[in-house]
Amino acid sequence: MIWEVFRQDKPGAYHKHCGNVHAPDRELALQFAAVQHGRRMKTHSLWVVPHDEIGEIDADETSFGGTTDKTYRWATSYTDIEPAAPEVAESEAEQADVEKSLEADS
Amino acid sequence: MDLETVKERAGPRQFAPKDDMPEEYRKAATRMIQFHANSEVMGGYLEKPFIRQAPSIDRKLAFSAKVQDEIGHAQLLYRAAESLGVKTRDEMLDELARGDGKFLNCFHYPMESWHEVPMIAFFVDGAAMHRQATLKNTSWTPYAHAMDKVCFEEGFHVKHGESILSELMNGSKATQEKTQAAFETWWPRIIQFFGPTNDKSVHNDFAQEVGLKTKSNDELRDTFLDTYVPKAEKYGLVVPEYPRIEYDGELDTYHVNEDDLNWDEFWTIAKNASEGSHEQINSRAQAQEAVEWVRESMHDWEGASGAGTPQAAD
Repeated sequence: MIWEVFRQDKPGAYHKHCGNVHAPDRELALQFAAVQHGRRMKTHSLWVVPHDEIGEIDADETSFGGTTDKTYRWATSYTDIEPAAPEVAESEAEQADVEKSLEADS
Repeated sequence: MDLETVKERAGPRQFAPKDDMPEEYRKAATRMIQFHANSEVMGGYLEKPFIRQAPSIDRKLAFSAKVQDEIGHAQLLYRAAESLGVKTRDEMLDELARGDGKFLNCFHYPMESWHEVPMIAFFVDGAAMHRQATLKNTSWTPYAHAMDKVCFEEGFHVKHGESILSELMNGSKATQEKTQAAFETWWPRIIQFFGPTNDKSVHNDFAQEVGLKTKSNDELRDTFLDTYVPKAEKYGLVVPEYPRIEYDGELDTYHVNEDDLNWDEFWTIAKNASEGSHEQINSRAQAQEAVEWVRESMHDWEGASGAGTPQAAD
Protein backbone atom coordinates (compact mmCIF):
# COMPACT_ATOMS: atom_id res chain seq x y z
CA MET A 1 0.00 0.00 0.00
CA ILE A 2 1.26 3.45 -0.91
CA TRP A 3 0.97 6.47 1.41
CA GLU A 4 1.50 10.03 0.22
CA VAL A 5 3.56 12.13 2.62
CA PHE A 6 3.12 15.83 3.44
CA ARG A 7 5.74 17.71 5.43
CA GLN A 8 5.31 20.86 7.50
CA ASP A 9 8.64 22.51 8.30
CA LYS A 10 7.51 24.65 11.22
CA PRO A 11 4.35 25.17 13.33
CA GLY A 12 1.69 27.10 11.45
CA ALA A 13 3.18 26.39 8.00
CA TYR A 14 1.37 24.46 5.26
CA HIS A 15 1.86 20.70 4.93
CA LYS A 16 3.39 20.29 1.47
CA HIS A 17 3.57 17.11 -0.53
CA CYS A 18 7.11 15.74 -0.39
CA GLY A 19 6.90 12.10 -1.57
CA ASN A 20 5.46 8.73 -0.65
CA VAL A 21 6.23 5.50 1.16
CA HIS A 22 5.24 1.83 0.99
CA ALA A 23 3.69 0.63 4.24
CA PRO A 24 1.09 -1.97 5.25
CA ASP A 25 -0.69 0.33 7.72
CA ARG A 26 -0.90 3.90 9.04
CA GLU A 27 1.38 3.32 12.01
CA LEU A 28 4.21 2.00 9.88
CA ALA A 29 3.54 4.64 7.23
CA LEU A 30 4.16 7.30 9.87
CA GLN A 31 7.39 5.61 10.97
CA PHE A 32 8.68 5.18 7.43
CA ALA A 33 7.70 8.76 6.54
CA ALA A 34 9.57 10.04 9.59
CA VAL A 35 12.69 8.16 8.51
CA GLN A 36 12.52 8.78 4.77
CA HIS A 37 11.14 12.29 4.61
CA GLY A 38 11.55 13.85 8.02
CA ARG A 39 15.12 13.43 9.03
CA ARG A 40 17.18 15.77 6.85
CA MET A 41 14.74 18.43 5.82
CA LYS A 42 13.54 20.69 8.61
CA THR A 43 10.41 18.99 9.90
CA HIS A 44 7.83 19.85 12.49
CA SER A 45 5.01 17.54 11.44
CA LEU A 46 4.17 14.94 8.79
CA TRP A 47 0.85 13.76 7.40
CA VAL A 48 0.42 10.42 5.69
CA VAL A 49 -2.57 9.74 3.43
CA PRO A 50 -3.48 6.51 1.61
CA HIS A 51 -2.69 7.11 -2.06
CA ASP A 52 -6.02 5.63 -3.19
CA GLU A 53 -7.92 8.15 -1.10
CA ILE A 54 -6.57 11.05 -3.14
CA GLY A 55 -8.70 12.37 -5.98
CA GLU A 56 -7.12 14.22 -8.87
CA ILE A 57 -8.23 16.44 -11.70
CA ASP A 58 -5.70 17.98 -14.08
CA ALA A 59 -5.39 20.57 -16.82
CA ASP A 60 -6.08 17.98 -19.54
CA GLU A 61 -9.52 17.33 -18.14
CA THR A 62 -10.61 20.84 -17.27
CA SER A 63 -9.78 24.44 -17.90
CA PHE A 64 -8.96 25.80 -14.44
CA GLY A 65 -10.38 29.26 -13.96
CA GLY A 66 -12.55 29.02 -17.06
CA THR A 67 -11.85 30.02 -20.64
CA THR A 68 -13.13 33.60 -20.74
CA ASP A 69 -11.23 36.80 -20.04
CA LYS A 70 -11.39 37.45 -16.30
CA THR A 71 -9.06 40.42 -15.98
CA TYR A 72 -11.81 42.24 -14.06
CA ARG A 73 -11.13 40.08 -11.02
CA TRP A 74 -7.48 41.05 -10.66
CA ALA A 75 -6.44 43.99 -8.49
CA THR A 76 -3.74 44.68 -11.08
CA SER A 77 -6.42 45.52 -13.69
CA TYR A 78 -7.50 48.66 -11.83
CA THR A 79 -4.47 50.62 -12.97
CA ASP A 80 -5.87 54.08 -12.24
CA ILE A 81 -6.30 53.24 -8.55
CA GLU A 82 -3.33 53.28 -6.18
CA PRO A 83 -3.66 50.65 -3.42
CA ALA A 84 -5.41 52.37 -0.49
CA ALA A 85 -3.42 50.66 2.25
CA PRO A 86 -0.33 48.45 2.72
CA GLU A 87 -2.48 45.33 2.99
CA VAL A 88 -4.13 46.16 -0.35
CA ALA A 89 -0.71 46.65 -1.95
CA GLU A 90 0.44 43.32 -0.54
CA SER A 91 -2.58 41.51 -1.97
CA GLU A 92 -2.00 43.15 -5.35
CA ALA A 93 1.67 42.10 -5.32
CA GLU A 94 0.67 38.49 -4.59
CA GLN A 95 -1.79 38.62 -7.48
CA ALA A 96 0.84 40.11 -9.79
CA ASP A 97 3.15 37.18 -8.99
CA VAL A 98 0.44 34.68 -9.85
CA GLU A 99 -0.44 36.51 -13.05
CA LYS A 100 3.20 36.41 -14.07
CA SER A 101 3.37 32.65 -13.55
CA LEU A 102 0.15 32.18 -15.54
CA GLU A 103 1.51 34.25 -18.42
CA ALA A 104 4.80 32.36 -18.38
CA ASP A 105 2.90 29.09 -18.90
CA SER A 106 0.66 30.29 -21.71
CA MET B 1 -2.87 22.01 27.25
CA ASP B 2 -3.92 24.26 30.14
CA LEU B 3 -4.83 27.90 29.73
CA GLU B 4 -1.61 29.17 31.28
CA THR B 5 0.46 27.25 28.73
CA VAL B 6 -1.75 28.58 25.94
CA LYS B 7 -1.10 32.16 27.08
CA GLU B 8 2.64 31.53 27.36
CA ARG B 9 2.88 29.95 23.92
CA ALA B 10 0.42 32.30 22.21
CA GLY B 11 1.86 33.61 18.95
CA PRO B 12 1.25 33.57 15.21
CA ARG B 13 0.06 30.16 13.95
CA GLN B 14 1.07 28.45 17.18
CA PHE B 15 -1.85 26.05 17.60
CA ALA B 16 -3.24 23.39 15.28
CA PRO B 17 -6.02 20.79 15.38
CA LYS B 18 -3.55 18.21 16.66
CA ASP B 19 -3.01 20.26 19.84
CA ASP B 20 -5.20 19.52 22.80
CA MET B 21 -6.65 23.01 23.34
CA PRO B 22 -8.66 23.99 26.44
CA GLU B 23 -12.38 24.54 26.08
CA GLU B 24 -12.13 28.32 26.72
CA TYR B 25 -9.79 28.70 23.75
CA ARG B 26 -11.87 26.50 21.45
CA LYS B 27 -15.08 28.32 22.33
CA ALA B 28 -13.57 31.80 21.94
CA ALA B 29 -12.02 30.89 18.59
CA THR B 30 -15.26 29.30 17.37
CA ARG B 31 -17.27 32.39 18.31
CA MET B 32 -14.80 34.64 16.50
CA ILE B 33 -14.44 32.57 13.32
CA GLN B 34 -18.14 31.73 13.08
CA PHE B 35 -18.92 35.47 13.33
CA HIS B 36 -16.42 36.09 10.55
CA ALA B 37 -17.87 33.31 8.36
CA ASN B 38 -21.45 34.52 8.91
CA SER B 39 -20.36 38.03 7.96
CA GLU B 40 -18.94 36.79 4.66
CA VAL B 41 -22.28 35.17 3.81
CA MET B 42 -24.33 38.20 4.85
CA GLY B 43 -21.97 40.60 3.04
CA GLY B 44 -22.37 38.51 -0.09
CA TYR B 45 -26.15 38.63 0.23
CA LEU B 46 -26.12 42.40 0.73
CA GLU B 47 -24.10 42.97 -2.44
CA LYS B 48 -25.74 40.30 -4.58
CA PRO B 49 -28.57 42.55 -5.91
CA PHE B 50 -25.93 44.83 -7.40
CA ILE B 51 -24.86 42.15 -9.84
CA ARG B 52 -28.19 42.89 -11.50
CA GLN B 53 -28.19 46.63 -10.78
CA ALA B 54 -24.61 47.32 -11.86
CA PRO B 55 -24.47 50.15 -14.41
CA SER B 56 -22.03 48.46 -16.83
CA ILE B 57 -20.97 45.03 -17.95
CA ASP B 58 -17.52 45.45 -16.33
CA ARG B 59 -19.05 46.27 -12.96
CA LYS B 60 -21.51 43.39 -13.35
CA LEU B 61 -18.74 40.90 -14.02
CA ALA B 62 -16.58 42.21 -11.19
CA PHE B 63 -19.51 42.17 -8.77
CA SER B 64 -20.45 38.63 -9.62
CA ALA B 65 -16.82 37.54 -9.12
CA LYS B 66 -16.73 39.38 -5.83
CA VAL B 67 -19.95 37.90 -4.43
CA GLN B 68 -18.67 34.48 -5.45
CA ASP B 69 -15.41 35.20 -3.59
CA GLU B 70 -17.29 36.19 -0.41
CA ILE B 71 -19.32 32.98 -0.34
CA GLY B 72 -16.06 31.10 -0.94
CA HIS B 73 -14.52 32.90 2.04
CA ALA B 74 -17.45 31.81 4.17
CA GLN B 75 -16.79 28.20 3.14
CA LEU B 76 -13.11 28.47 4.12
CA LEU B 77 -13.99 30.07 7.44
CA TYR B 78 -16.67 27.54 8.40
CA ARG B 79 -14.03 24.87 7.81
CA ALA B 80 -11.56 26.72 10.04
CA ALA B 81 -14.24 27.12 12.72
CA GLU B 82 -15.26 23.48 12.45
CA SER B 83 -11.65 22.40 13.05
CA LEU B 84 -12.02 23.52 16.69
CA GLY B 85 -14.48 20.68 17.32
CA VAL B 86 -17.11 22.85 19.05
CA LYS B 87 -19.74 23.15 16.30
CA THR B 88 -20.28 21.47 12.96
CA ARG B 89 -20.67 23.43 9.73
CA ASP B 90 -24.33 22.40 9.56
CA GLU B 91 -24.96 23.69 13.08
CA MET B 92 -23.41 27.04 12.21
CA LEU B 93 -25.38 27.36 8.96
CA ASP B 94 -28.59 26.45 10.80
CA GLU B 95 -27.90 29.09 13.44
CA LEU B 96 -27.45 31.70 10.73
CA ALA B 97 -30.65 30.66 8.94
CA ARG B 98 -32.61 30.70 12.24
CA GLY B 99 -31.40 34.22 12.99
CA ASP B 100 -29.23 33.17 15.95
CA GLY B 101 -25.89 33.50 14.16
CA LYS B 102 -24.18 36.84 14.76
CA PHE B 103 -22.59 38.93 12.03
CA LEU B 104 -21.00 42.28 11.29
CA ASN B 105 -22.98 45.43 12.18
CA CYS B 106 -22.70 46.94 8.68
CA PHE B 107 -24.51 44.03 7.08
CA HIS B 108 -27.67 44.60 9.14
CA TYR B 109 -28.59 47.71 7.14
CA PRO B 110 -30.30 47.67 3.75
CA MET B 111 -28.32 48.94 0.79
CA GLU B 112 -30.56 50.35 -1.88
CA SER B 113 -28.75 52.61 -4.30
CA TRP B 114 -25.60 52.37 -6.36
CA HIS B 115 -24.26 55.43 -4.51
CA GLU B 116 -24.15 53.34 -1.35
CA VAL B 117 -22.17 50.56 -2.97
CA PRO B 118 -18.66 51.98 -2.40
CA MET B 119 -19.50 52.47 1.29
CA ILE B 120 -19.46 48.69 1.55
CA ALA B 121 -17.20 47.82 -1.38
CA PHE B 122 -14.48 50.32 -0.50
CA PHE B 123 -14.77 51.41 3.14
CA VAL B 124 -16.19 48.28 4.77
CA ASP B 125 -14.08 45.97 2.63
CA GLY B 126 -11.07 48.18 3.32
CA ALA B 127 -11.81 47.95 7.04
CA ALA B 128 -12.27 44.19 6.78
CA MET B 129 -9.02 43.78 4.93
CA HIS B 130 -7.22 45.97 7.44
CA ARG B 131 -8.39 43.65 10.20
CA GLN B 132 -7.89 40.44 8.22
CA ALA B 133 -4.28 41.29 7.42
CA THR B 134 -3.56 41.20 11.17
CA LEU B 135 -5.40 37.87 11.48
CA LYS B 136 -2.79 36.21 9.27
CA ASN B 137 -0.95 36.17 12.60
CA THR B 138 -3.73 34.58 14.64
CA SER B 139 -2.69 31.69 16.86
CA TRP B 140 -5.21 29.21 15.34
CA THR B 141 -3.39 27.91 12.26
CA PRO B 142 -6.45 26.91 10.17
CA TYR B 143 -7.79 30.46 10.64
CA ALA B 144 -4.46 31.98 9.55
CA HIS B 145 -4.39 29.73 6.48
CA ALA B 146 -7.91 30.86 5.53
CA MET B 147 -6.72 34.47 5.89
CA ASP B 148 -3.85 33.83 3.45
CA LYS B 149 -6.31 33.05 0.68
CA VAL B 150 -8.88 35.65 1.72
CA CYS B 151 -6.31 38.46 1.76
CA PHE B 152 -4.93 37.30 -1.58
CA GLU B 153 -8.36 37.81 -3.13
CA GLU B 154 -9.50 40.91 -1.24
CA GLY B 155 -7.06 43.30 -2.93
CA PHE B 156 -9.25 43.18 -6.01
CA HIS B 157 -12.38 43.91 -3.95
CA VAL B 158 -10.97 47.01 -2.31
CA LYS B 159 -9.52 48.43 -5.54
CA HIS B 160 -12.74 47.72 -7.40
CA GLY B 161 -14.70 49.47 -4.64
CA GLU B 162 -12.39 52.45 -4.79
CA SER B 163 -12.73 52.54 -8.56
CA ILE B 164 -16.53 52.86 -8.15
CA LEU B 165 -16.09 55.64 -5.59
CA SER B 166 -13.69 57.47 -7.90
CA GLU B 167 -16.16 57.20 -10.77
CA LEU B 168 -19.07 58.51 -8.68
CA MET B 169 -17.07 61.40 -7.23
CA ASN B 170 -16.00 62.39 -10.72
CA GLY B 171 -19.61 62.28 -11.90
CA SER B 172 -22.26 65.00 -12.07
CA LYS B 173 -22.87 67.31 -9.13
CA ALA B 174 -26.06 65.39 -8.32
CA THR B 175 -24.15 62.11 -8.28
CA GLN B 176 -21.51 63.58 -6.00
CA GLU B 177 -24.17 64.86 -3.61
CA LYS B 178 -25.91 61.52 -3.47
CA THR B 179 -22.59 59.80 -2.79
CA GLN B 180 -21.82 62.30 -0.02
CA ALA B 181 -25.27 61.64 1.50
CA ALA B 182 -24.60 57.89 1.42
CA PHE B 183 -21.21 58.47 3.03
CA GLU B 184 -22.81 60.44 5.88
CA THR B 185 -25.31 57.66 6.50
CA TRP B 186 -22.70 54.90 6.46
CA TRP B 187 -19.72 56.61 8.10
CA PRO B 188 -20.68 55.99 11.78
CA ARG B 189 -21.49 52.35 10.97
CA ILE B 190 -18.14 51.95 9.24
CA ILE B 191 -16.35 53.25 12.34
CA GLN B 192 -18.37 50.86 14.50
CA PHE B 193 -17.16 48.01 12.28
CA PHE B 194 -14.21 47.77 14.64
CA GLY B 195 -16.52 47.09 17.54
CA PRO B 196 -16.78 48.79 20.90
CA THR B 197 -13.82 50.66 22.32
CA ASN B 198 -11.40 48.52 24.30
CA ASP B 199 -12.85 49.39 27.70
CA LYS B 200 -16.33 48.26 26.59
CA SER B 201 -15.32 45.18 24.64
CA VAL B 202 -16.49 41.90 26.15
CA HIS B 203 -14.13 39.46 24.45
CA ASN B 204 -11.13 41.57 23.51
CA ASP B 205 -8.73 40.83 26.35
CA PHE B 206 -9.04 37.06 26.31
CA ALA B 207 -8.79 36.87 22.50
CA GLN B 208 -5.57 38.88 22.65
CA GLU B 209 -4.13 36.93 25.57
CA VAL B 210 -4.42 33.65 23.69
CA GLY B 211 -3.22 35.18 20.41
CA LEU B 212 -6.47 34.83 18.47
CA LYS B 213 -6.34 38.59 17.88
CA THR B 214 -3.09 40.49 17.61
CA LYS B 215 -4.47 44.03 17.61
CA SER B 216 -7.12 45.64 19.80
CA ASN B 217 -10.30 47.24 18.44
CA ASP B 218 -8.89 50.70 19.18
CA GLU B 219 -5.56 50.13 17.43
CA LEU B 220 -7.32 48.81 14.33
CA ARG B 221 -9.87 51.62 14.25
CA ASP B 222 -7.19 54.30 14.62
CA THR B 223 -4.91 52.93 11.91
CA PHE B 224 -7.91 52.42 9.61
CA LEU B 225 -8.84 56.10 10.06
CA ASP B 226 -5.22 57.14 9.38
CA THR B 227 -5.47 55.61 5.90
CA TYR B 228 -9.10 56.01 4.96
CA VAL B 229 -9.90 59.54 6.19
CA PRO B 230 -7.33 61.03 3.75
CA LYS B 231 -8.68 58.71 1.04
CA ALA B 232 -12.25 59.93 1.56
CA GLU B 233 -11.04 63.53 1.44
CA LYS B 234 -8.99 62.87 -1.68
CA TYR B 235 -12.21 62.02 -3.55
CA GLY B 236 -13.94 65.12 -2.23
CA LEU B 237 -16.03 63.45 0.46
CA VAL B 238 -16.54 65.56 3.54
CA VAL B 239 -16.14 63.62 6.78
CA PRO B 240 -19.20 64.40 8.93
CA GLU B 241 -18.68 66.56 12.01
CA TYR B 242 -20.05 63.77 14.21
CA PRO B 243 -18.70 61.42 15.39
CA ARG B 244 -15.80 63.72 16.15
CA ILE B 245 -12.56 62.41 14.72
CA GLU B 246 -9.57 63.96 16.43
CA TYR B 247 -6.04 63.99 15.14
CA ASP B 248 -3.43 63.20 17.77
CA GLY B 249 -0.27 64.99 16.63
CA GLU B 250 1.89 63.37 19.27
CA LEU B 251 1.05 59.81 18.19
CA ASP B 252 0.37 60.82 14.57
CA THR B 253 -2.95 59.01 14.56
CA TYR B 254 -6.69 59.70 14.48
CA HIS B 255 -9.03 58.87 17.37
CA VAL B 256 -12.79 58.77 17.35
CA ASN B 257 -14.82 60.28 20.16
CA GLU B 258 -16.76 57.15 21.02
CA ASP B 259 -19.48 58.99 22.94
CA ASP B 260 -20.66 60.46 19.64
CA LEU B 261 -21.59 57.03 18.32
CA ASN B 262 -24.94 55.33 18.85
CA TRP B 263 -24.04 52.34 20.98
CA ASP B 264 -27.65 51.41 21.76
CA GLU B 265 -28.14 50.81 18.06
CA PHE B 266 -24.87 48.87 17.91
CA TRP B 267 -25.80 46.52 20.77
CA THR B 268 -29.35 46.03 19.43
CA ILE B 269 -27.82 45.00 16.14
CA ALA B 270 -25.31 42.79 17.90
CA LYS B 271 -28.28 40.78 19.22
CA ASN B 272 -29.85 40.54 15.73
CA ALA B 273 -32.72 42.53 17.22
CA SER B 274 -32.97 45.48 14.82
CA GLU B 275 -35.52 45.71 12.05
CA GLY B 276 -32.73 45.58 9.48
CA SER B 277 -31.32 42.40 11.03
CA HIS B 278 -34.54 40.52 10.32
CA GLU B 279 -34.76 41.97 6.84
CA GLN B 280 -31.24 40.88 5.96
CA ILE B 281 -31.57 37.42 7.48
CA ASN B 282 -34.89 36.96 5.67
CA SER B 283 -33.39 38.12 2.39
CA ARG B 284 -31.21 35.07 2.65
CA ALA B 285 -34.25 32.84 3.21
CA GLN B 286 -36.05 34.52 0.31
CA ALA B 287 -33.10 33.97 -2.00
CA GLN B 288 -33.00 30.31 -0.97
CA GLU B 289 -36.67 29.95 -1.79
CA ALA B 290 -36.44 31.87 -5.06
CA VAL B 291 -33.83 29.50 -6.47
CA GLU B 292 -35.43 26.34 -5.14
CA TRP B 293 -36.43 25.49 -8.73
CA VAL B 294 -32.74 25.47 -9.74
CA ARG B 295 -31.90 22.94 -7.05
CA GLU B 296 -34.93 20.85 -8.00
CA SER B 297 -34.13 20.81 -11.69
CA MET B 298 -30.51 19.94 -10.94
CA HIS B 299 -31.66 17.18 -8.65
CA ASP B 300 -33.99 15.82 -11.37
CA TRP B 301 -31.26 16.08 -13.98
CA GLU B 302 -28.74 14.30 -11.81
CA GLY B 303 -31.26 11.60 -11.04
CA ALA B 304 -32.29 11.13 -14.68
CA SER B 305 -28.95 11.00 -16.47
CA GLY B 306 -25.72 9.45 -15.35
CA ALA B 307 -24.56 13.04 -14.60
CA GLY B 308 -21.69 14.00 -16.88
CA THR B 309 -18.51 15.84 -16.00
CA PRO B 310 -19.34 18.68 -13.60
CA GLN B 311 -18.69 22.13 -15.07
CA ALA B 312 -16.75 24.81 -13.23
CA ALA B 313 -19.16 27.03 -11.32
CA ASP B 314 -17.64 30.19 -12.74
